[in-house]
Amino acid sequence: MSAVATQTPENCPAALTSVLRGILALFLWATLPLYNARWTLLPALTGVAMMAMLVGAVIAAPREVIEGDVQRLMYIHVPSASAGTYFAFLIAAASSAAFLISRDIRWDAVARSAATVGVLFTVITLATGAIWGKPIWGVYWTWDARLTSTLVLLLIYTAYLLARSVAGPNDEQAARYSAIFALIGFLDIPLIHFSVDWWRTLHPQRIIFDPRPAVPGEMLLVLLIAFIAITLLMLWLVALRSDTEQLVQRTDRMRARLDQREPA
Amino acid sequence: MRPALAVFRKDFQLAWRDRTGWLSAFAFAAISILVYSFAFDLAATDVRPLLPGVLWTTFLFVGIFANGQSFQREADAGTFDAMMIAPVSPSTIFFGKVITNLVALVLIELALLVLATMLFDTVLLTAELILVVAIGTTGYVSLTTLLSTLGSRARARAVLLPVLALPLLVPLLIAGVRATGVALDEPVGSAPWMLLLSMFALWATVGGALLFPLAVER
Repeated sequence: MSAVATQTPENCPAALTSVLRGILALFLWATLPLYNARWTLLPALTGVAMMAMLVGAVIAAPREVIEGDVQRLMYIHVPSASAGTYFAFLIAAASSAAFLISRDIRWDAVARSAATVGVLFTVITLATGAIWGKPIWGVYWTWDARLTSTLVLLLIYTAYLLARSVAGPNDEQAARYSAIFALIGFLDIPLIHFSVDWWRTLHPQRIIFDPRPAVPGEMLLVLLIAFIAITLLMLWLVALRSDTEQLVQRTDRMRARLDQREPA
Repeated sequence: MRPALAVFRKDFQLAWRDRTGWLSAFAFAAISILVYSFAFDLAATDVRPLLPGVLWTTFLFVGIFANGQSFQREADAGTFDAMMIAPVSPSTIFFGKVITNLVALVLIELALLVLATMLFDTVLLTAELILVVAIGTTGYVSLTTLLSTLGSRARARAVLLPVLALPLLVPLLIAGVRATGVALDEPVGSAPWMLLLSMFALWATVGGALLFPLAVER
């Protein structure tokens, strides 16, 4: 992933290219150290953080007075929604931009992996939300703004994975097309958010950012640990998956070369 | 802008000579309206609360149906590469294609509004409603034209285009339905739907013009 942005596609407008380059630089600065430690430090850190999250959520955190034990799902639900889903889709969009600039097919593998992991965490978010929603709201699903926009996000990135999977791992044209789609899908998020927000709203408001926190300190601490754990888990899964995808690409290239050498 | 108009003139002339494309798109739209009438019994009940949804789902389906073909003729005749090596920016060609699709779809939609006015005994050809329809159509036409460059993968495209386009079009669908409701004096709340619709149209057009060159590059 080191040789990035060497040649600029001729047709790409200059303004767009510089914006994409900026996104890419920020993204690399934030994630490259973790990516380089993906086989040593990252699994260990993820394991420790996940254990801490489970112990904190199940044992250490106090039992919520009104909602009961089902409230403990929050420690998975909230980080999965933000760190798992949105951060993963941000990585997918940023690697798609990186692919469009550098035309290095390995970025396509990263984008696909991040989208896969993002879809996984979106499903976890929706599932834990539904399990929590049945006893608390009385329904598994409701057409609330945030639920709806998460569902639309799931549809967009599932469509992305579908569109990408109809072509082979080294298909440059299909990779380019899906990268464009991933970028548009990510840029569509604010519009989706506004539209469904004006359409419906029922979700519990974000009490964490309230100036007078209504949440006790232990809960906040466990939630913070859960944020770290889910972020690390997401990054580790993306790293594993994209290494696998890059191996698939290499195998595919080798096979193609082999076929060229001895026409059977 | 001149090359964009040239692309528009060429495509429009071809479409005019062979009118089956437009006719089948309009027939599809008209049948959709009839299907909705049978399914929801629109003749018997008060139709006005349901009408915006019926109109906009029909518009979106007919738009995806028609725009998916944007580059089919070029691909079949092998003129796509010829157009791409022309010494103009690919964004210009994108605008030409968008104008063609826009004009065709607005014509189909106007015809559909006339049909719906007669079927449901509701005046639909008001200036406000036509403005809503024109802005909304600009939004989804830009987006579906960009997505229809799925190119040579024709086998996958027919199935994939709606799956790709519809989730992205959710904001446009919501805003279009609500803005149409406002135009029909329905109680739909006071959110700035026209603003959202215009934002979507602008977003889709600018995004399409910027990303189209990357999509068609060889």
